[in-house]
Amino acid sequence: MAEELPEPRCLIVADADVLIRNALAEYLRHCGYKVFEAATSDEVVIALEEGALGIDALLADAELPGRYNAFELRIWVRDHYPDVDVVLAGNIDSAAKAAGHLCDEGPHLQRPYDPESVAAHIKRLLAATRRQRL
Amino acid sequence: MGAQTILVVEDEFLIRFMLADSLREIGYQVLEAADGEEGFEILMSGQVIDLIITDVRMPGAIDGMELTRRSKSLAPARPVIVCSADLFKSQSHPADEFLAKPYTIEALAGLIARLIGDPWQKSSQNHGA
Repeated sequence: MAEELPEPRCLIVADADVLIRNALAEYLRHCGYKVFEAATSDEVVIALEEGALGIDALLADAELPGRYNAFELRIWVRDHYPDVDVVLAGNIDSAAKAAGHLCDEGPHLQRPYDPESVAAHIKRLLAATRRQRL
Repeated sequence: MGAQTILVVEDEFLIRFMLADSLREIGYQVLEAADGEEGFEILMSGQVIDLIITDVRMPGAIDGMELTRRSKSLAPARPVIVCSADLFKSQSHPADEFLAKPYTIEALAGLIARLIGDPWQKSSQNHGA
C-alpha cells in the first residue's frame, strides 16, 4: 500500500514588494510548504482569521504596511495565534536566510537550492525593473 | 522546460489565493499580484509571463483595463483574461477574453487551455515581448 503523504505545512510570506514576496514564496513552495502571499498586515489577519487555512508560520518584512506594523503584528499574532511562529526580516538577505531556515524545518527536510540564490534572483529582478522604469 | 506561467492579479486576498492555488494544482506556474501596480511591476521585471488573469476593479492607479492595455503594448500577443462582476461581454475592452464573476475554476481552466494550452505543453509562440 502506498504511504500517505503528510499534509504540507502552511506559511504566510508577507512583503509589500511583490518581487520579493513572489520569489520567497516560490522558494518555500519548492521546499514543500503551502504558501499564502500577503501584501499587507491586513491580508495576514484575514489569512489567520480564516482558521481553515491552518497557518503554521509567518515570514514578514519588518516594514510591512497595513493596519498593524510588523512589530504590532507580531504581538497580535502571539496574542491571538500563539502556535504560529513569526519571523521578521529586515532586508532581502535576511529574508532569504530565514526562508532557508524554514526550509530546513520544512516538509521535505532538504533545500531545493541555496537561499543565497533566491536573494540574488530577487536583486536581479529589482534591478531589471528599475532599468525598465528609467 | 517548465509549465506556462500565469500572472494572477486580484486584490481580494482569499480569491487571489484560491485562484492561484487551483491553477498550481492544475500544473501551471503562477505569480500573484495584489493590484494592478504590482502586476505591472512583475511585467517590467522581465519574467516570462504567458497569460494574465486580472480583476477589473482594483485600488491604485492601474486597474485591470489599464494593466491589459500596458501588457498589450509590451507583448501584443500575450493573452489577457479579465474577470468582473459588473462588466458585460458586449462592452468594449482590450482583453482577449472576458469572464463574468462568479465563475467556476473549470470554466477558467477551459479558457486558459484554449489560449495557452494545457500545462507542460508550453507554446513556442513568441508573445512579442
